[in-house]
Amino acid sequence: MQQFVNRRKTIFGIIFILSLLLLAACATSTRSRHKTSEIRINDDFIIVKATAKDTLSSLAAEYLNDPSKGWLIAEFNHIKSLTSGQELCIPLFPFNKGGLKSGGFQTVPVLAYYSFSKNKPSKISITQDDFKAQMKYLKENGYHVITLDQLLGFFEYQEQIPEKSVAITFDDGWISVYDIAFPILKEYGFPATIFIYTDFIGGGKAMSWKQIKELSEAGFDIQCQTKTHRNLTVLKKKESFKEYFKSLEMEISYPKKLFKKKLNKECKCLAYPYGLTNNLVIAMLKKHGYRAAFTVDKKFNPFFIDKYKIHRSAIYGKYNIEKFKNKLSVFQNMELK
Amino acid sequence: MKRLCNIYLLLIVLFFFTGCAGVRDFLGDIADKIAEKNSEKAPEGTKVLPASYYLGKALEYEKKDELQTALFYMQIAGTLNPDSTKIPEKIASLNSTIDHKAKQHFTTGVEFCKKRRFKDARKQFLTTLRYAPGHKEALNYLKNRLHPKEYLNYKVKEKDTLKDISKKFYKDPSKDFLIAYFNNLKTDKKPVPGTFLEIPVLGSEFTRPPIDIRIELIKAESLLIEKRSQEALDIAEKILEYDHLNKKASDLKNSAYYQIGIELSGQKKYPEAIKMFKKVTPEYQGVKEAIQHVINKELVKANNLLKEKQYEQVFAVAGKILEYDKSNKAAEDLINTAFCQQGKDLIIRKNYTQALNVLNSANPQYDCVKKTISDVYKAKKKQAEAHYLKGVKHFLNEELQSAIKEWEKTLALNPEHKKAKKNINNARSLLEKLEKVK
Repeated sequence: MQQFVNRRKTIFGIIFILSLLLLAACATSTRSRHKTSEIRINDDFIIVKATAKDTLSSLAAEYLNDPSKGWLIAEFNHIKSLTSGQELCIPLFPFNKGGLKSGGFQTVPVLAYYSFSKNKPSKISITQDDFKAQMKYLKENGYHVITLDQLLGFFEYQEQIPEKSVAITFDDGWISVYDIAFPILKEYGFPATIFIYTDFIGGGKAMSWKQIKELSEAGFDIQCQTKTHRNLTVLKKKESFKEYFKSLEMEISYPKKLFKKKLNKECKCLAYPYGLTNNLVIAMLKKHGYRAAFTVDKKFNPFFIDKYKIHRSAIYGKYNIEKFKNKLSVFQNMELK
Repeated sequence: MKRLCNIYLLLIVLFFFTGCAGVRDFLGDIADKIAEKNSEKAPEGTKVLPASYYLGKALEYEKKDELQTALFYMQIAGTLNPDSTKIPEKIASLNSTIDHKAKQHFTTGVEFCKKRRFKDARKQFLTTLRYAPGHKEALNYLKNRLHPKEYLNYKVKEKDTLKDISKKFYKDPSKDFLIAYFNNLKTDKKPVPGTFLEIPVLGSEFTRPPIDIRIELIKAESLLIEKRSQEALDIAEKILEYDHLNKKASDLKNSAYYQIGIELSGQKKYPEAIKMFKKVTPEYQGVKEAIQHVINKELVKANNLLKEKQYEQVFAVAGKILEYDKSNKAAEDLINTAFCQQGKDLIIRKNYTQALNVLNSANPQYDCVKKTISDVYKAKKKQAEAHYLKGVKHFLNEELQSAIKEWEKTLALNPEHKKAKKNINNARSLLEKLEKVK
């Protein structure tokens, strides 16, 4: 009997050890929990104490369900990094959607690039090294390169974006964007938007549909820049107003349908050829369901800008890094008291 | 021991059925419940900074006028120190300050807007939004009302067509398709009165007429000097089609019509001349005199026609004069004189019925009309008597048939002639008796 009892004890002992091992295995994959040291304030904030394992990104993942939103915690707490034991206030909502402060308001530089070359710069072509240096500058100086959706969310007063936000765009659809800019952006993990005019696709120095598709699948936003890249604001020689109107309709509606068919993606924004627009073009864009459109006016972009006249700074080939820095204004001073 | 074994067995079974996640959640839920229980008891159980720290931060932000951030920290302090009575008071006071400041800046912004000081208005609305991030009206001003619109709204009026509306907004009726396109309408259908249409605002480059008005005006002036009035008129009208308020084009149009009128007057085409003069604005210098001059010429013409007994032409010329000048007495006199003369002529021709028809068209207030009508009746009576006497003569000569004919003529002119009636009956019965004797 005693032997039986001993054997049972041994079996339970083995089961106990095995179960402990299994639970231990589970425990290693369990996220670190702060529940014992967190306080919820009216569903708006959570106060937590950072552990040694925590990062801004892990806290954002845990509390905001988005690891990329570590900046929101950093900005609210006015910190750049975490230390163990540090007490943090995590806002659970966009606490400053328009980037408004008593001294002014947030602005977002939107950079417009055209083409790239290995080492020969021209007015619209930037060398590989210069582009790399510019991206490096953004990374090292705390700029957040935001997506088109984030940018639109900011302009629609729906979303808060990092204080030092920048958006990157490319016009036309040059193949050098695929060959030179794409790998660099990938290296830095920066998103970008490419505005393409459809008649250019597959041409000598243009990207092919296959390349565009690859960029789209890699997370790049592919948007429209009309069909033929005509100046949308003036009548051509001997063109009647009615002909001009018909042409406008085609320039605006055709690329939208084509992108839907080829990429199965919605074209929601447009970059005006030569950055030029007028009331009729804007009315037409709205009728065809475009959410926003981009010029190449060098002014700043606050949240209250006209979404159909978003400004962009064209980055030209012979810009040095100092000139590039000047394009990165993220705040406009104005006493808002 | 037995109970412990049961728990382990339960855990193992749970593990086999749900894997790691199941066990984790199961344990997690237990831990959560314990944590919740603890936090319900008292926040001071957790090791966080004291409420005073957050209160201090709140006051710091309040000083900097960052009231929203101050409010956040104040709320945190309030949660950490639920027994405090001062913090809720402070929160209420902050909320009240925020509301007051937001309202104040919003009102100022609206005032600036009314004065069209949009830059100042924008600053005020931004300040409003900084204090009260959810202020919808301030946001609406910033996002919509302070931006120029690419559409204008238009309420359709009775009888409006898309072409009318297009002409009104674009000075060009052919742009009706544009309004139709943006309002999902068809160009050949009338818009419904009372509905609102969105009219795209076109830049001046698209509403500018396809002519250079300045140059066209110079051209028209030169043509007028060269007496090429019709060409000058065509240009002036074209300019007015695109710019109906153009004063110079309007003056040119008057001058051209006046000049054409003078030319026609010179060619003695008076009615045509009057037509042209009537198109000139009455205030135009010399036009009234020119019209009077042409009318006088026409009156002379009508008088001459009267002398020539061309009554129908008198009526036509004088009638035209009255068309242009309803109160022209001379023309009216001429018409009535013509009626009288025509009546008299018909009396002479013994056409009394026609004479009376003509005179009935005249104005009975005219003395000559009255007299001529009376003359007609007198002449008729006289003529009836003459026929009667002739009948008597025939009767005496036993020409009964001829006598009856004359008395019939008498009765036709005067149905009340008693003797004629009696005699005609006698003559007819005599004729009957004679027939029977035969």
